[in-house]
Amino acid sequence: MSLLEFEDVHQSYGDEEVLRGISFGMDRSDVEVVIGPSGSGKSTMLRCVNRLTDIDSGTIYLDGEPVTTPETDVNDLRRRVGMVFQDFNLFAHRTALGNVTLGLREVLDYSKEEARAEATSQLERVGLADQADSYPAELSGGQKQRVGIARALAMDPELMLFDEPTSALDPELIGEVLRVMRDLAEEGMTMLCVTHEMGFARSAASTISFLDEGRVVERGPPEQLFEAPEHERTGEFLERLTSLHGGQQG
Amino acid sequence: MSAEAAEEPGEAVTTRGTIGVELGRRPLFYAVLAPFWAWLLVRWAYDWVVEPGTNVTAREPFFPTEPFVAAGETLRGVAAGAPAPVGGVLDWLAGGFDFVAFGLEALPQLAAGAWVTVVLTVVSILAGLVLAVPLSVARVYGTRAVRYPALAVTELVRGTPLLAQLFVLYFGLGLTKYVREVPGVGVGVLPDTAVVVGLIGFTVNSAAYQSEYIRSALLSVESGQLTAGRAIGLSKVAAIRHVVLPQGLRFAIPGWSNELIYLIKYSSLASFITVRELFFRAEAIGNETYLFVEVYSVAALFYLALVVSASAFMSYVESRVAIPGLGTTGR
Repeated sequence: MSLLEFEDVHQSYGDEEVLRGISFGMDRSDVEVVIGPSGSGKSTMLRCVNRLTDIDSGTIYLDGEPVTTPETDVNDLRRRVGMVFQDFNLFAHRTALGNVTLGLREVLDYSKEEARAEATSQLERVGLADQADSYPAELSGGQKQRVGIARALAMDPELMLFDEPTSALDPELIGEVLRVMRDLAEEGMTMLCVTHEMGFARSAASTISFLDEGRVVERGPPEQLFEAPEHERTGEFLERLTSLHGGQQG
Repeated sequence: MSAEAAEEPGEAVTTRGTIGVELGRRPLFYAVLAPFWAWLLVRWAYDWVVEPGTNVTAREPFFPTEPFVAAGETLRGVAAGAPAPVGGVLDWLAGGFDFVAFGLEALPQLAAGAWVTVVLTVVSILAGLVLAVPLSVARVYGTRAVRYPALAVTELVRGTPLLAQLFVLYFGLGLTKYVREVPGVGVGVLPDTAVVVGLIGFTVNSAAYQSEYIRSALLSVESGQLTAGRAIGLSKVAAIRHVVLPQGLRFAIPGWSNELIYLIKYSSLASFITVRELFFRAEAIGNETYLFVEVYSVAALFYLALVVSASAFMSYVESRVAIPGLGTTGR
């Protein structure tokens, strides 16, 4: 059974239909990379999974259970689904450690000491134990994003969503974030990533989906999409992306 | 903010304020304020030993007035024998000594009034804050059912004169009748009936104004902060409490300081409902001596000292709670 499954998901903002019938499934430990031109619905698709955006019709299943029903406990759903944002969204008033402990303390009811220990080990996991006491404004973009990842991981999620995690970073800082993501993938984390880092997609993704105008135009393993895309548009888009974002190997 | 901050990590590093840093920043300023507060605190303590509460009867002055009266008389004697222009100047100087003597005489009364002014201000701003936070959160994040009542309360209170509100509470609603029944009111150190009515009025009024300062501060917290809080599984209320408010309240400090300063001066309106605060005592002395200009001048110096103390304290608080990169204080 799929860990995450989209079944004919439609979503619109006002008159504009952003998702026009998305269906796909991913298994545990899969790394799905979603690519597509801007406005194609990639971010919306991600935000539907943890209900930051509500869908109009269709169903999303997590571990077999529908999570798009009115009865779904959204707070529990969000606890189970970690999210990493394009512009980090670190809690500006809390240190790196404080960013990670907040969820542990307030959502998982850890004691102060437990939360501190767990948060420290999550910061170690992303290589930032030495920055535990720094405030977000004192960190580089790459460090901020790694704290963002640690914050999400601390909730022990079943699935991680990455919404263009490297798009706001200077080129020389992208590598450190991709390295952490690659490590996660190797540890068996299930990841749904919107990213245009083609090096990462080629080597770490189990499947790539090409989204355009709210539909999955083409989906398959990286080799297939890179070497023999079925659709002309997929090939063109990948070619353009690779020339722009292909260099970073992480 | 993130993209720019990312390029220069560590740029926003700041030192947190300490009392030492604060005192060192404006030594002359504190050299003037320190004796004022030392005297005021001793004065309050002295009067309180005999009669604690908000209605203290002031005791005798600490400083003798006779030397100044004598100096004035001597100068006036000399002035009488001197040629016209010199005599005029000496007369004017003698008037200065008279003013100091009068001021020293008035100080204990004004100090007792200042105590009530401080109580009114401090209690109202804090109690107002407690009301203002939920009001502002209701305005910004509430559903229609709580947003509109909060808006109505805020606009009603801000849209009517404070003095009228105090009159309605004191004379119109006859709040004194009920307040008097509350056990503890006016007993020992606790404020008496009129002061309690004043506190209620100022608290409600200040809550409305503070809620607007906080509302605008909450709106300046980036929306991604709340989203990120929700994304780790915090409920909306928990995310507002742990993510939005700690930032918003810091943004609100400058506006909040402004409100504190207003409140110090607005508290003089309590004299109209018989609260014996600073202005009330000054007016009473004026009625007795007819030296209105003199006594109001001394009272004005009291207000000035209270206001500059409050603004210095708030800038200390602001630097104390500053976080690197957050708002204007961390830069």
